[in-house]
Amino acid sequence: MKLTKEPGSARSGIGDWYWQRLSAVVLAVLLPLPFLLIVAVYSGSVDQLGLLDLLDHFFSRLLHTLLILALIVHAYMGLKVIFEDYVPVIGWRVTLIGGMLVVMSGFGIWWLAIIWAWGG
Amino acid sequence: MSEMIRLSIFRFDPERDDKPFMQSYEVPVTKRGMKLLDALNYIKWELDGTLTYRRSCGEGVCGSDGLNINGVNGLACITPVTGLKQPVHVRPLPGMHVIRDLVVDMDHFFDQYRQIQPWMQTDTPTPEHERLQSPEERALLDGQYECILCACCTTSCPSWWWNGDRFLGPAVLLQANRWIVDSRDEATGRRLDQLEDAFRLYRCHQIMNCMEACPKELNPTAAIDSIKRKLLARKS
Ligand code: SF4
Ligand code: SF4
Ligand code: FES
Repeated sequence: MKLTKEPGSARSGIGDWYWQRLSAVVLAVLLPLPFLLIVAVYSGSVDQLGLLDLLDHFFSRLLHTLLILALIVHAYMGLKVIFEDYVPVIGWRVTLIGGMLVVMSGFGIWWLAIIWAWGG
Repeated sequence: MSEMIRLSIFRFDPERDDKPFMQSYEVPVTKRGMKLLDALNYIKWELDGTLTYRRSCGEGVCGSDGLNINGVNGLACITPVTGLKQPVHVRPLPGMHVIRDLVVDMDHFFDQYRQIQPWMQTDTPTPEHERLQSPEERALLDGQYECILCACCTTSCPSWWWNGDRFLGPAVLLQANRWIVDSRDEATGRRLDQLEDAFRLYRCHQIMNCMEACPKELNPTAAIDSIKRKLLARKS
């Protein structure tokens, strides 16, 4: 292997690591909720109007927002690590990570617009 | 006739061979508790003097005969031949440039070791006698200082295979931690600064191959985790 000149530290990485773990905790708490809701609907304990009422509630919108944000942060961090691991060409790496950021933010904004019924 | 052991050994002489190949040998069991290094020595001294490998102490202390043995990294000198599935496949440490046969280029590995400045650094004046350490403080070094830098762990780490130019790898990070936890060392902050990097440190994804591979039964994963926790503690 080629000897590289000591590059020093970029003082990065701890943020990524921290956010990945924080979002994992949020997901672990919030992700089961939509599944519980589905189970409730299928078992007949919640009907359509009840479901809409639940989703409409300010508090559930807030939780929904948190869930979506955590999901996006977690997916972004996970995929970023994979790109850093397996895409050795810096140009491609940066392009892929940047592209992913754009797509995921777009998706997030679209979803938030649905949750809060912006413009509707 | 004595019991024979079949081996299949990686051979490559860049001056003569286009490609590496595996060569078969049969070696008699010469003594009780015979180690793989004894078998390699037998080949070199009795059968084929061209076989090239590193060894020195012969007792798991110098770290020079790290090899890939039946797919698992370990030291030839402390690996008993009995119990190994035959033919015993012996290859150089994975992910390394082969200089010849089982000898690999360790320059980059030791260069990375140098990067963590593995010596005691102090700012306070040197005391008249010595820098004292309580038995409890000394105990923190257990499981850290025993590393013999054989590279069995680092060369079994997938993260190091992919990003070894920047990721320091388990052996070097274990040693970085060894100086971070040393109560006498006064450069902890600078050391942590030097490690706080998405590639140098955070490439470790806790795959734990390193721990499996270590012939001294050390746990680099735990050391890396301890560095990460120290960085977190100083941030939050
Ligand atoms: S725990 Fe970390 S250092 Fe050890 S093998 Fe896995 S990725 Fe490599
Ligand atoms: S931690 Fe274990 S496997 Fe790694 S270099 Fe040190 S002694 Fe060898
Ligand atoms: S020869 Fe020294 S560790 Fe094996």
